[in-house]
Formats: sequence, C-alpha cells, structure tokens
Amino acid sequence: MTVISSTWTTALLVALPALPFLAVLALGILRWATGKRAEERIVWAVLYAAFAGTALASALLAFQLFATERLAIEANLGDWFAIGHYHFPWRLRGDRLSLPFALFASILVGVVASFSRKYLHREEGFHRFYLLLGLFGAGVELVVLAGSLDLLFFGWEMVGLASALLIAFFHDRPKPVEHALRAFVTYRACDVGLLAAIVWMHATTGGAALDFVGPGLRWPGLVVPSEARDALIVAFLLLWASIGKSAQVPLGGWLPRAMEGPTPSSAIFYGAISVHLGPYLLLRSAPVLEAAPLAAWAVVAVGLATALHATFVGRVQSDIKSALAYASMTQLGLIFVEIGLGLHLLALAHIVGHASVRSLQILRSPSLLHDHQHLEQAMGQQLPRTGGHLEGLVPAKIQPWLYRHALERGYFDALLIDWVVEPFYRTFRALDRMESRFEIWAGGEAEAPDPTSGLDLLEQRR
Amino acid sequence: MSAQIHRAHTPGNAQSTLAAEIEEAATWLPEQAPLSTFVHHNTLHHLEDLPFEEAVVVGSKRLRTSAFQSEAAFAEHLRSGRIQRRDVEAVVDARTEQPGRLLFSGGPSVREFRGFRLRHYFEVPSGAALRWTLQEGGAGAQMASGVDELRRPAILARGPEAASLAALWSALEASAPPIRESHAPSGRWRDRLRDKTGIDTDEWVHPLLIRLSAAFLDQGVAYWRMPDREMGFLVAFRRLYGRRVGPPARWARGLPALVASQEKLGLSAEETIEWALGELGVTQGQRVDYLRDTLISLRGWAGMMKQFEHRPDRAPVEALPARLADYLAVQLILDLFAAKACARDALDHAGPLAGLPTTIPVARAERDSALVYESYLLAQLSEVPFERFLEPAVARAWLEAVASFGSIERRCLLHLAYERRHRVEVLDALAIHSRTASSRSDTASFQAIFCIDDREESTRRHLEEIEPSVETFGYAGFFGVAMDYRGLDDVRSRPLCPVVIQPAHRVSEVSASSPEHEKYMTRRRRRGVAQHASVIGSRTLVRGGLTSPFFGPLSTIPLVGRVLFPRLAHRIAHWLEELGVERPVTRLAIEADPDQDIQAAIRSGYTIDEMAGVVASALRTMGLDQSLSPLVLVVGHGSSSLNNPHEAAHDCGATGGGRGGPNARAFAAMANHPNVRAELARRGTPISQAVWFLGAYHNTCDDGMTYYDEDLVPSTHAAVLARAKKTMAAACVREAHERCRRFETAALTIAVDQALEEAEEHAVDLAQPRPEYGHATNAVCLVGRRQRTRGLFLDRRAFLVSYDPTTDPDGARLAPLLLAVGPVGAGINLEYYFSFVDPAGYGCGTKLPHNIVGLLGVMDGHASDLRTGLPWQMVEIHEPVRLLVVVEARKPVLEKILADQPGLMKLVKNGWIQFVCWDPDSPDLFVFEKGKPQPYTPESKSFPSASTSLDYYRGHREHLPPAHIGVGVRR
Repeated sequence: MTVISSTWTTALLVALPALPFLAVLALGILRWATGKRAEERIVWAVLYAAFAGTALASALLAFQLFATERLAIEANLGDWFAIGHYHFPWRLRGDRLSLPFALFASILVGVVASFSRKYLHREEGFHRFYLLLGLFGAGVELVVLAGSLDLLFFGWEMVGLASALLIAFFHDRPKPVEHALRAFVTYRACDVGLLAAIVWMHATTGGAALDFVGPGLRWPGLVVPSEARDALIVAFLLLWASIGKSAQVPLGGWLPRAMEGPTPSSAIFYGAISVHLGPYLLLRSAPVLEAAPLAAWAVVAVGLATALHATFVGRVQSDIKSALAYASMTQLGLIFVEIGLGLHLLALAHIVGHASVRSLQILRSPSLLHDHQHLEQAMGQQLPRTGGHLEGLVPAKIQPWLYRHALERGYFDALLIDWVVEPFYRTFRALDRMESRFEIWAGGEAEAPDPTSGLDLLEQRR
Repeated sequence: MSAQIHRAHTPGNAQSTLAAEIEEAATWLPEQAPLSTFVHHNTLHHLEDLPFEEAVVVGSKRLRTSAFQSEAAFAEHLRSGRIQRRDVEAVVDARTEQPGRLLFSGGPSVREFRGFRLRHYFEVPSGAALRWTLQEGGAGAQMASGVDELRRPAILARGPEAASLAALWSALEASAPPIRESHAPSGRWRDRLRDKTGIDTDEWVHPLLIRLSAAFLDQGVAYWRMPDREMGFLVAFRRLYGRRVGPPARWARGLPALVASQEKLGLSAEETIEWALGELGVTQGQRVDYLRDTLISLRGWAGMMKQFEHRPDRAPVEALPARLADYLAVQLILDLFAAKACARDALDHAGPLAGLPTTIPVARAERDSALVYESYLLAQLSEVPFERFLEPAVARAWLEAVASFGSIERRCLLHLAYERRHRVEVLDALAIHSRTASSRSDTASFQAIFCIDDREESTRRHLEEIEPSVETFGYAGFFGVAMDYRGLDDVRSRPLCPVVIQPAHRVSEVSASSPEHEKYMTRRRRRGVAQHASVIGSRTLVRGGLTSPFFGPLSTIPLVGRVLFPRLAHRIAHWLEELGVERPVTRLAIEADPDQDIQAAIRSGYTIDEMAGVVASALRTMGLDQSLSPLVLVVGHGSSSLNNPHEAAHDCGATGGGRGGPNARAFAAMANHPNVRAELARRGTPISQAVWFLGAYHNTCDDGMTYYDEDLVPSTHAAVLARAKKTMAAACVREAHERCRRFETAALTIAVDQALEEAEEHAVDLAQPRPEYGHATNAVCLVGRRQRTRGLFLDRRAFLVSYDPTTDPDGARLAPLLLAVGPVGAGINLEYYFSFVDPAGYGCGTKLPHNIVGLLGVMDGHASDLRTGLPWQMVEIHEPVRLLVVVEARKPVLEKILADQPGLMKLVKNGWIQFVCWDPDSPDLFVFEKGKPQPYTPESKSFPSASTSLDYYRGHREHLPPAHIGVGVRR
C-alpha cells in the first residue's frame, strides 16, 4: 500500500479533478440530450459517486505521500496549447498542502451533495443545483492541485461562476439575481488581479509554475521573480485577487448578500470552501510574499481591517445567516493576518477548523429557534445578555455612532456606489451619448419602424 | 427642509383621527405572531365581512396576489377528472343570471357559452407577448390548436385558410371596443416616481428600514443590541440617526439635521406622521389609502410591529415597546427623503413634492387586441356557423360575451366546481355510510380522547381497526384546561389554550423531590453554560480565532454524522445529553393555593369546583358522561423537528401553537382527583371508582407516545394499561405507515414495520424540509357522534369533533363548541388555502433560502420583508377547498344557533366555510347556501370499500375519496 506505482499515483492525481468534471459532463448530457428531468436519485448518485471517488483517491494519495515521506506527487499531461514561447501546461501537483485540502473539499462536497438530496427534493432546479455543485467541486480540485497559476486560474473562474449561479438559484425573484451579479462583478474585478499576476510572472520569469523554489519549503510555491519590484507587484496582484474571493475589506459586501441561495450551497461556498480559496492562493504564493515584505504587511493590514470590521458589524446582525457571514469574514481576516505573518501551518489548521465549524453552523441555521429554546432550558434561565463588555469598553458617546456604523455595515455599500459605481456609469453614459451623436453626425437619423396592427402582419406573412 | 419644521398644530381629535386612520390602514397587515408561537389564522381575516369570492378578489388586487388557483391548474383538474363536466354545469347554472338567454339569435345561450369557455383553456398573452404572438406566432396564432377537426373544413370552405381567418379577424377587430385605461395612479410617491423615472425609491428605504426593524425587535440573535430601544422605535431611530456625520448615502443627505431638530422639538410619532404627510402633499381624503399602501409595501415587518404592540405577551423573549405609529413615522421620514432625492436627481425638481406634476395616462384609441385575439380563437373553437361572425351584431355580442367572462370570473367558477366535486364525494359517502353506522357498546376495553386535529383521524381509525372494542373521541386539544403552563425545564410560562382565551390559571410542573431537582438543574446548567460559551465563542474575533484552529476540526464529526446517519447521530447526541443527568419524577401543581387572591387575573392552579367543571363539561359534550370504560387515555399532541423554523406550526392549534401533552396530563389529574370525583358525584354525574384517566402525548412527527404519571396508576389497572399501550403503539406504527404514502422519498411499497423509522428520521434529519405534512390536505370538519363515521376512511383530511346531539336537544352545548371549532378550523384551512394558491404572495415561498431573523420569523436571504404564511414544502400537497363543516344536529337547532351567533353566521353566510347540517335520525343532509339550509340530494348510490385502511391506501400517493373500511365498523 505504501508504494503505489507511479502510473497509479499519476492516474489517481488526474482523477481528482477529472472525476467531478466527468460528473458535470454526465449531468449535462443527461439533461440536454434527453430533454427530460432525470430522476433525482440518479442525479445525486452521479455526483455523490464522483466525490466519493475523489475523496478516496485523495486519501490514498495523501497516505502514500506521508507514508513514503515524499514531498510531492506530480502529473504532467503535456501542454494544452502553445503560442510562441507561451504554453499552457496540464500539470497537477499533489503535496502536503494540496492533498489534505483536496481530501477535505471532497468530503465536504460529498456531504453537501448528500444533504441536498433531501433538502432540494422536488425543487425545480434540483438538476441544476447538482450540476453547479459538481462544477464548483471540479473547480476547487483544479485550484487546489494546479501545478501553475495558469491552471489555477481556470479552476478559480469555475468556482466564481458556480458561486454566482448558485446565488441566483431562485432566479424568478429579482433579488437573488441582483446579489449574484454583485458577487460576480466583485469576482471579475478581482480576477483581473490574478490574470495580471500570471501575465507579469510570464513576462518576468517565463512561467507561473508552482515548484520547490527554495530550501525549507513544506510545499511547492510560486517561483519568485528576481527583481524585488516584480515580486512586489505580483504579490499585490495576488492579494487583490484573494480580497474578492475571500470577502475582505472593502469588497466583502457581497458575502451576506450571497445568502440568497439554498442553505447547503451557502454552507459549502461561504462557510467552507470557496471563501477559503483566497488564503489558499496566498499560501501557494508564500515565497513571493516572503520576498516582498511590504506586500506581506499589506496582507496583514487587510486581514486585520477585515477582522475588526467584520467583528463589529457581525455583532449587530440580527439575522442568523448574516451573523454567520460576518463571523466567517472575521475568521478569514485572522487567517489573512496569520499568512501575512508567515504562520502557514497555523493558517492551514485555521482554514480547516473554521470551515468545519462554519459549514455545520450554516447547515444548522434553520434550527435556531429550536436550539435557542433548548439552550435556554439547559441554562435554566433567559440567555445572559451579551455585548456588556463591549458597551463597557466603548465610551457611551461613541456607542450610537459605532452602532450605526456597524448596522450600516461600515457604509461600504454607499461609498462604493458613490465613488466607484456612479462614476463608472457616468463615464459610460457620456461615452454612449458621444457615440450616438457621432452616429447621427455620420449617418443621419434613422426612422423608427412603424407599428402595424396584428392583422396586417398576419396578412403580410402569407 | 428643516426650516419647515414646526410643532404641528394638532388638536386632540386630530390625534384620535390619525390613530383611527392608522388602525384602519393596519387591518391589511398580516396577523402572524413570532414563529415560536405560530397559530394558524385566516390570511384575509379582515375581509370576513365580505363574501369569500369577493374578498379574495379585493385582496388579490390590493396585495397583487392570486385569488384562486391558476387557469392552467384548473385545466389540469378538468383533464384529470378532478373537476367533472356536471360540476361545471352545476356551478354555471347556479352562478349565472339568465342562463337561458341567447347571445344572439341562433347562437348559444349564456349557459352554453360559459360552459364551453370553461372547458377551453389557452393562454391569452398581453403587452409585448401579445404583439409578438400576433407578429411571429405563426399557425398557433391563426388557428387555435384545439380547433375541432370537424370545424376545420368549415373554416377552410370559405376559401384559402388564411383569407377566411383574416375575414374573421377583421370582423371581430372592427367591432372591438377601445382599450379602457384602468391604470389609476397609486398615491405613493414611490409608485408615481417609479412610473416617471424608473427609479424605485423603496430600494433605498427598505434595506435600512428592514435592518432597523430587525435590530429593534431582535429577541436575541445579535450580540450587541440596539441602544435605547427600550424607549421605543422612533426614539432609538432618532438617537442613532440624529448624530452628525450622517450616513453617506446620497438620498439620505440632510437626514441627521432633520432628525435632530425633530428630536429637539420633542415631536411625537403622531406629530411626525402629520408633518410627513403634509410634506408629502397627501390630502385629507387620501390619508388612509396612503398610510395603507405605505404599510403594505413592507407588510411583514409592519405587521410584526403591530403584533408586538397588541400582543406583547406573545413575544418569544422580550416584549419591546413597539408601536406601529413609531414605525410609520420612521418609514414616512425615510420615504420623504428618498422621494425628494429622486425628484431632485432625476427630475431636477427641488421644491415641495406636491408641486411635482403627476402624469395622467391618456386613454389610447387602440383596439383591445387581447380581447380580439381571445374572441378570435374562441370563435374558431365554437360551434357557431363561421359566417355568422361576419355580421357586426354577432361579432359585437361575441366580443361582449368573451369580455364579460374574464379570467377572475372563470377561475371563481372553476374553483366552485372544484370544491363541489369534493363536497359531493364527502356528503355522498356520509349519506351512504350512515346506513352501516356502528353502535356504541357499554363494554369498551378502553377509551381514548384525542384532539380534533385532522392528523389524529388516522390514529383513531387505526386504533379502532386494531381493537374494535376501543372507543375514540375528539375534543379540542387543550381539553378545556386553559392554563398558563411552565414545565420543569421551561424558562418562562406560556399559555396553552386557544389564542382567543386569556388563561386565568397558572400550572407548573414540579419535581416530586427537591434534592433530586437541585442536582438535575445544576448539572444541566453546567452543560448549558458550556454550550452557550461555545456558540458565542465561535462567532467572535478573539475566542473564535483561538478555538477554531484547534477544536474546529471536531465539527466534522457531527457534520458528517448528522448528514449521513441522521437517526444514529441524533441518538448519540441525545444519549450524551442525558448522560449523568437524570430527569426527576415530576407532578403537575394543579391544585389552587387556598390562600391566594381569588380576584387576581391569573391564579395558580384550579379549585376543586373549577376542576369538576372542566371535567364534567368535556365528558358531557362528548357524550362520555355515561358508560366510561376502566381506562380513559387523554392524548394531547405536538410535533418536534429539526432545521424547521416553522416547527411550531405543526403543534396543536387548540393550545395556541403549543404542545398539548401537559393539558392532557392536567385533565387526567383533575378527573382522577378524589375530591373532584366527590364533587362530581354531588352534582349527579359520578365517575365510577373503577375508572382511571391517563394523560399522554402523541408526537405527530415521529409518531412516538409519551405517558404521564404512570406510577400513579392503581395496580388493578396495570393489565388494561399494558394492553392499551401496546394497541396504541401498534396504531402509531400504522399511522406512520399511512403518512409515508405522502412522502415521495419513501417507497410506496415500504413495509409497515419500517415506517416508524422513516418517520423518526424525518423528525431528526437536518436535511429534511418536510418533517411532516401537518394540516396539509385538510378539508372537512365533522361534528357529531363517532359511531356515525366509524369505519369511514377520511384520509387524514377531517377534523373530528365528538358531540352527542341526542343529549343536547336545544343545542346549548353545541353553540360554544361551534364557536370554538368554526373559527379555528376555518383559520387553519384558509391559511393553507391562501398559502397554496399564492405561495409567494400569501405564503412564505420555498424554505430553502429562509433565514431566521431576530427569533421572530424568516426572511429570504439577508434583507427581505419578513415572510409570513406557510412555506411551500408544507402546503405542496394541499387541495385548496374551503372547510366543509358537517354538523350532526337538527336543522332548527342549527338555524337558531346561527341566528344567535353573528360571528358564526358571518363565516357561514359569507362562505368562508361550507356549512352542512346532518340530521341525527336520518341520512338527510342540508347544505347552507347564503345562510339558508337547502336539502342535499346524493349523486351516487355507492362508494369505495375495503377491508382495512392499508388495503385501501396502499400503492397510492394521491388524495383518496372516502371509503368504507370493513373492520373499522363495530356491529
């Protein structure tokens, strides 16, 4: 058992992202080729089997890795394409960071798939939910196991897409769609950071591979550009990328809004896996952060600001899912701080621990009334009033101000609208007006088509 | 704006006018209490003065909801035979004036036309969809898809198909009336501005108002509570928003200054509202409408404010000083700022809002092409000779007939036809079953009194099937014990009686021995403190940061366990919880303290006299005062489930949404009390010493039974008790099995002995949004003797109320019974009706995105209105019919009761329930129409029969009509 032949390890490693992909493909074919609603049992079984498979494969690989005291397992499948000196490598890396993470993610996705089978029973979008969950799982496996940022980006985008589409799961109401768009726009704006980092890496180092770049590394990391300036730029770009995905200040406003989706998807995305991909990316790029102390301090600053912001805002939230969303954000902020300070193992433990706690809490959040009553009974009294020591710490004069600040979620929404969204709109409206003026100048005014009565049209068609 | 503030000149009567106006406007708010004390009620309770058919239309227009099922749903019912042709004909005949009048000479009669129209369902698009259909729709638009093969040649005979259709179209179009603009501009500025600018100012105001309301009413979710909320909503709002450096949102600029100045002036809520209404330019005549529309725009939260104002006793944890006027004042201030900002930014209008011109829609001269299209398709489908439509008079008459029978009218008639089929099935079954009615015996092995709840119908039926010598009875599940109850574990007492009663007695559960009690409480508390610390800790910064990296991974154990092995995980969790903590033996402190003030509004316990009254009146009403068996079980019920915010909605309605076990226990304790027995003997209604009452609790979700005070049962009764418990357990298994047929996740072939496991799993599974189906499918309420309905399969759809008309000649006991049962049954039934016909508008939609807020209710996502009504997963299998109340009593007795009880008469006359009189001595039935009884003639001579319930329902998921069950009848 301890020594699995290298062909097998490669195959298992490839199976990790491939199985979920195949499941998504199968579900897609099932839906669009047959045109019918597939049985819920079958839809569930396809996805569940895929993630049971990935869980098993990643467990085997992790066992193999730790038993043989190897540092990494690699699978090179050649290039997808090559243009000039750029090539897109299909390269997966199983190591002491990625394999435990892949195992953890597979188990959680499998658990959520099991949960949703009953929870989403009879739901119109049952099939769609599983398809998107599969897409998400596949994306996560790619992000986790990618041997280069190029491939990681691929998975990163799939996770973002699945996340937005699941927030908009109930697309017959306007709000979920609006909030999904908000999350999507935030993701896209920050994905620019990752993309730019990749381009910069290619321009400066000729690639964006994850390797054992220096001595004493526990797991492969991003190759460090030789110029300190380039390292700094890349580090900041990667920080920017992870701010969006992990709902850090000032872009975290989408996280409570994302709770519009079904409870199980909220649990796996915003309690467990998706929001932790930002820290994962930073853990992967740790060598670059180390080479650029300024960026590392920026990570600490962003994390600290987020943790403080979220802990205050979270304390005044009176609905359970927002309270949990801000609690997540608080811990994510701390994880950022830990990464910035170079406490990588602690950060990893924090990610796993926090994801476990939070996903259970979100899954169980509809039990709040039940649990509250139960807790009161156990304590034999009305639950003790909380917030006392906070009120003691903050001067009375500042309290209403601080409370309002927290209730309005730090005013980030209003500020973003006034300083980013509106100017953006204004610019493009002005451009639009210029364009139409130019069109009129260039081509003259077109006449609007004349509306005709229904019958005329009926006759015309004959 | 601040310059215009002054202390409004409000004479005393203006204040009271405004209060009256707010009250009138607030009648439209939902009456739902916080979820932990959920009680079913008629969603349109405030419209009960109108006939049902009118009220649902009024409600649907005002709230933009559906009044009836959709036409597509009705079309499906027609196709499946759920509605039959004779039902349609019967309702058309009954509801059409001059049904025999011909539309035009040689044409169909109104009756024929309507029947024909109801049988043909097709969608008539409107607006852009209609234009698209007319321009692009192809053959579908030109020839109705259902055009009879026989008609087609007639159409084609007039030349090429297109030409004849074109001729038809132009004939109809030429006679079509112009569109009548019915678009009256609504009063609210938000609506007017949205029409003009496309900006929805509620999108600015509502998120803030939701956050404020939620923070104000929060019962314990937030860690840090809103400052100064003890002073009321308006004060708390002013303290927060009257500070300088205001919120940076553009629309709210200037808000702090205004709020601060109003605070300084000490403007009351009423004065603030008067001021805001003036600023908004609302004239005297529009005030109620404006206030109503404003409140309706966020009706869940406004309704919760009203609930806290009127029923502070129903607050889950803390009764906050909420006032609707405070809330309205805040909403109007915010509305005003938003409207002004919108007018300023989008319309460059800076002055008072009243100066903003409102566009009046101009009547368009266009023909009503939707009507033409509908008439055109119908003309093709009809049997009227095709050429006739080319006569302008015929075309006009045709268009008029089509126009006067619109979607609402059609759905109303279809709804009546839908109800009629159900009514006929039930009444025919009753009439026929009467002939095989059981007899009462004096030798029942034991008797069991259940709640009248529709879910207990099957429990009773199975009990009777298993042991034919058992007698069962139905009585409102608080068993006449209207008490304020506090269990051993409870932190505070809660009323266990119907919502309309204010309990006058307080009863507590106490430990039989006090040292054991102390030990129990201490151990529990220790665990409680640890649990509480971990809940809080996981959410905060420092504690969360310290614990989650190290202890967090332990969460994967319950996470995986709860999801993959829900029953096992629950058992382990339960076992761990009980470990080392033994619950002491308890008793109910039922007897009154003789020293207390008997004038107090609420007293501890009951006097012997009061207990005797409770017992005697219950037994007499059920006809149980004679012939008691040695053992009488009194079974209360409730329901427990996980991950279900609407858990309390499955509890007992008769205890005000509580669990009825303690009431059953209290009733049994009263009936067993030696002094009560002595008092009853003195009154001439003795209970034999050989009779023992035992209280019990039935969990309708996992079908478990709990028995109370078993240690007090005399040894002489041990054998009969053991047998009774065994029979009950067997009945519960069968009952679980019958329930399983409704769960799609359980196979139809599931074995009887596996059903209990399935039910248990539903109760403890976090992933299960359908722990039980509750009252879904309820449709009937039978008031009368059980022996007349025993052996009748009623599919868990009937409330069964025991009443013996033979010992109550003048109906003295019937009147209070109907007064309790009528509104409660109607409330449950109508709430299901509305939540089913409009799951999003009247119900709270799907459970999946629900988010509990403030321990009060649920929102969709992070900031929506408080969603009231029932979730779709609770009602999805319901059949929306009004409750069919069948009362076994003589006709004159019932007529007299109705004449004396205006409240009941209102329900009957306005058709909020269907009311039927069932003669005690014959199978004759009388259906009340507009408050008058009309004899009923059965349509059929026979109905299904089977030897056991299992034989009848096995293999079916759908609703089953009543059936005769052989073994259930006692001969």
